[in-house]
Amino acid sequence: MKREDVRVAVLLIEGTNCEDESVRYFQLLGAHAEKVHLKQLTGDAPPEFRRRLADYDVLMIPGGFAAGDYVRAGAIFAARMKSRLAGELEDFVRSGRPVLGVCNGFQVLVEAGMLPAVRGPITDTPEAVLATNDSAHYECRPSYLKHENGGSCAFTGRLKKGDVITVVSAHGEGKFLLPKEREQEMLRELIENDQVVFRYVDDRGKYAGYPWCPNGALYNIAALSNREGNVFGVQPHPERSFFRYLHPDWTRSGNPDGPGDGRVVFESVLDYVTAKF
Amino acid sequence: MRDLNRRRGVPFPLHDVALRDASDDELMRVSQGMGLALSLDEMKTIRDHFAGLGRDPTDVELQSLGQAWSEHCCYKSSKVFLREFIFPVQAPYVLDRGDAGVVEFDEDHAYALRIESHNHPSAVEPYGGATTGIGGILRDVLAMGAQPIALCDPLHFGPLDFKFENLPKGVKHPRYLFGGVVAGIRDYGNRVGIPTVNGLIHFDEGYVGNIIVNVACVGFAKKSQIQKNRVAQPGDVFVLCGGRTGRDGIHGVTYASVDLTAEAAEAWSGGAVQIGDAIVKEPLIHACLDAAEHGLLHGMKDLGGGGLSCVVGEMARNGGLGAEVDLERVPLKEEGLAPWEIWVSESQERMMLAVPPEHVDRVLKVCDLYDVLAAPIGRAIPGNVCRVSYRGELVLEVDLDFYTGGPEYCRAYESKVPAVRPPERYPEEPDDYAAVLLRVLASPNVANKELVVRQYDHEVRASTVIKPLHGIVGRSSHGDASVVRPLVDSHRALAIACASTPQFTAIDPFRGGATAVDEACRNLVAVGARPHSLTNCLNFGNPEKPDRLGFFREAVRGIGTTAQALGIPIPSGNVSFYNESALGPAPPTPVVMGVGIVEDFRTCVTSDFKSSGNPIYLVGETHQEMGGSEYFRVVGGSSGVAPNVDVAALKGGMDGVLAAIRAGDIAACHDLSQGGLAVAVAEMCLGGDVGASLDLSSLDPLRLDFLLFSETNARWLLEIHNGHEDAFESNFPAPVARVGTVGGRTFRIRRGRERSEVGVDEMRDAWSSALPRLVVG
Repeated sequence: MKREDVRVAVLLIEGTNCEDESVRYFQLLGAHAEKVHLKQLTGDAPPEFRRRLADYDVLMIPGGFAAGDYVRAGAIFAARMKSRLAGELEDFVRSGRPVLGVCNGFQVLVEAGMLPAVRGPITDTPEAVLATNDSAHYECRPSYLKHENGGSCAFTGRLKKGDVITVVSAHGEGKFLLPKEREQEMLRELIENDQVVFRYVDDRGKYAGYPWCPNGALYNIAALSNREGNVFGVQPHPERSFFRYLHPDWTRSGNPDGPGDGRVVFESVLDYVTAKF
Repeated sequence: MRDLNRRRGVPFPLHDVALRDASDDELMRVSQGMGLALSLDEMKTIRDHFAGLGRDPTDVELQSLGQAWSEHCCYKSSKVFLREFIFPVQAPYVLDRGDAGVVEFDEDHAYALRIESHNHPSAVEPYGGATTGIGGILRDVLAMGAQPIALCDPLHFGPLDFKFENLPKGVKHPRYLFGGVVAGIRDYGNRVGIPTVNGLIHFDEGYVGNIIVNVACVGFAKKSQIQKNRVAQPGDVFVLCGGRTGRDGIHGVTYASVDLTAEAAEAWSGGAVQIGDAIVKEPLIHACLDAAEHGLLHGMKDLGGGGLSCVVGEMARNGGLGAEVDLERVPLKEEGLAPWEIWVSESQERMMLAVPPEHVDRVLKVCDLYDVLAAPIGRAIPGNVCRVSYRGELVLEVDLDFYTGGPEYCRAYESKVPAVRPPERYPEEPDDYAAVLLRVLASPNVANKELVVRQYDHEVRASTVIKPLHGIVGRSSHGDASVVRPLVDSHRALAIACASTPQFTAIDPFRGGATAVDEACRNLVAVGARPHSLTNCLNFGNPEKPDRLGFFREAVRGIGTTAQALGIPIPSGNVSFYNESALGPAPPTPVVMGVGIVEDFRTCVTSDFKSSGNPIYLVGETHQEMGGSEYFRVVGGSSGVAPNVDVAALKGGMDGVLAAIRAGDIAACHDLSQGGLAVAVAEMCLGGDVGASLDLSSLDPLRLDFLLFSETNARWLLEIHNGHEDAFESNFPAPVARVGTVGGRTFRIRRGRERSEVGVDEMRDAWSSALPRLVVG
């Protein structure tokens, strides 16, 4: 399909707050993107506002504090989404269409059992968690992310393994953890399945602790995909480095209007969709 | 004692208060007993007014007047001075002065700005106080039809290591207050999705009993969507939307209009402080802007101090109309509220829309789409009477001229403040400049604020093009201003900076006020923005005390005359009086937020040194003005000479720096403020992770420590691109001197035979470890 035919749904509920820029950047790259409130997919909106998930080619859950995240981040959005749309979501994922979760969206995908999803497209219970940062508070700081994926991820096709990109972290709960008793076994499985997409590194490209890894995540994991590579969750915000002028140090590096490091995620998924469908 | 309350025979609490034959004592007892905080003269005016009507007021009417006539709502002690010094500062590009000032951005767009205090609630319940502070300022900007795009938080606390045993009863420890306020700003601001891009944190013993928590917001809108805070024609429907109304937040404005004594703090804790709910606010913003964008509104206004009583009265009055309200239609949090409670409650997250009848259904639909509660509760009527009923009973009927007219005072003030200047006590010139610089860098007022800045999401909305921290990733340092790009298809942008000057205002309030303007402008210019508008928050003591009011008047005069001379308008502002506790008044604290226009943000510069070998220039002259300096605080000096403001020098410096930035001569720029020249160089070194050598032989023969640490206004430090020196130096319209070169791993200072040197890593350690150490304790 052509880029202009790609339909992107940027899903939101109250407290989602990165939807506008996400829609804008997909549009800027030529796709047809729109904000869609969960109510519009579940039939709870007036008829003229209703939408069907199956009519979209890409689903994105953007960042924010969905429903306030007053319980575990992403849990409420995930529960509301799953209770009404589980079947449609499963069909969507099985069809190979891509699902992107950024920051709070990553938390939603994990809480919904759509990541790491080692045992099927949507597990009944979450298999992992994005826990409170080691610093015990929100961290808004640039992170270096090393690309570790071998080519299976629908969202990083334009990156080589080993590439390092700069993307802004902005979260209070980004510490990726697996169940303690199965931690090593599951981690091995994720690595073998090529599901680890980005890991936090320092300014020399080495795996490092705080503040380079802003949250204390297991194995410095910053982003994951499912086994098939079409469901992707990333803790830092690629849309916040879509242009070079959004990078924190562009006054040093120059070229403010140039592409920022986060743009590859959007470009790559559109490549994937246009090639596959 | 007689009970003046006459309960009416209705199945809900409603009283007529027998004021007409009340004695002076009884009037004051009513004022205190009902929490009105009105003076005897004000109570007499009310009594006489109702006597003229031939009836007694209801409790709803009295409560209403208590709100409307509070210092907080009607600026009764400050207006006379604001009218003299602030209001005359005009510019043709100011479009409106409502809940927020509205200023032209370009042909089709405008921005809104406003600052407010949340001092007393934050001193009692820091987390809730800070959250509702942000909630309130967002609504002020929203009420103009503008999308909030940036927040700024100037904060003032007691020392974090203040001794527990020295805390008076009822006063909370600075570390607790600091932690609560920062967490409140973080949790509310981040959740609501508006970036906190700027702010300041100042510590002084004077804030132990009464912290100063200000919050400012900038919004953005198409000119065609700008709203008025009014109803437009009879029949306009009052649609109340957002949160439900409850007993929380009763009497906030009246408690804000008395000193923060232990008793007042206790009363606040009884329900005047609330917790904001960002997740009610966030969709409320969308719904209101959606309705405004589709042309469904005649006006809107936020519910803040005084709740419904203020918003209905002011919207009707602004439209030259009256109003009718049915309190039974107000959605409540709980049953059993008395009518007066519904009428004055300051429950959070509420907006009032003025909707023409034909659009009411569509507005309700828009609100429903965002899951925002909305209820039509009344309408505009011809005339100037406000009439409120509850379950069919008329509970309030007031003339709006009387009601919103409010008293205004020209209170006595001292013309010579302070009465006694601090003594001139100069410390010995230091032997070891490296050691002194490290001490100044580790002073909490100068030290790295990254611990706080990075808890605030300054990136959400993906439009912050110059961040609050500048420099190499992982090595960043303080910037002077942040820049936000409001439009995706234009490089025109808004810069935001703030300044507060309690240290100078306490010793010379005129210079303190003037310096706040100077510094805010310097900060904006340092990134390449032309100062365009200002908003100020004036935090002072009890205005009924002539010396406190004297400080206020002088500071306002300083701000107003400086802004006037620069031609920069002040289209909004806020006054917070009664910042006093058992420990005495908090330092007089004028806070100024400035907004600047950047023609093309791609020309912006940051404060971090860029390249070894580039020359360093100092713009402006340095004088011996050590009063209130951070250096004197650290080494224990004292002086009554605060920095003067020389508007001609400031203008010359501003024009020169902006022209050089536009011409591409400048690689880095930093304003000189707390800690003076030495701290500015140090911060530029830290952000660029590189050293610098300074040779001050060519400068004024001041004592070296004064040269390095004086906080003289209108100065900037510039790193100039190699090869641009001649272009830069020729025609520079202000004094400028080459003072050094970027390079090496140390900061080296030389004058004549004097030499000192301190390592970049050593400076980073002193500067970065100070605040975390104090916070962890």
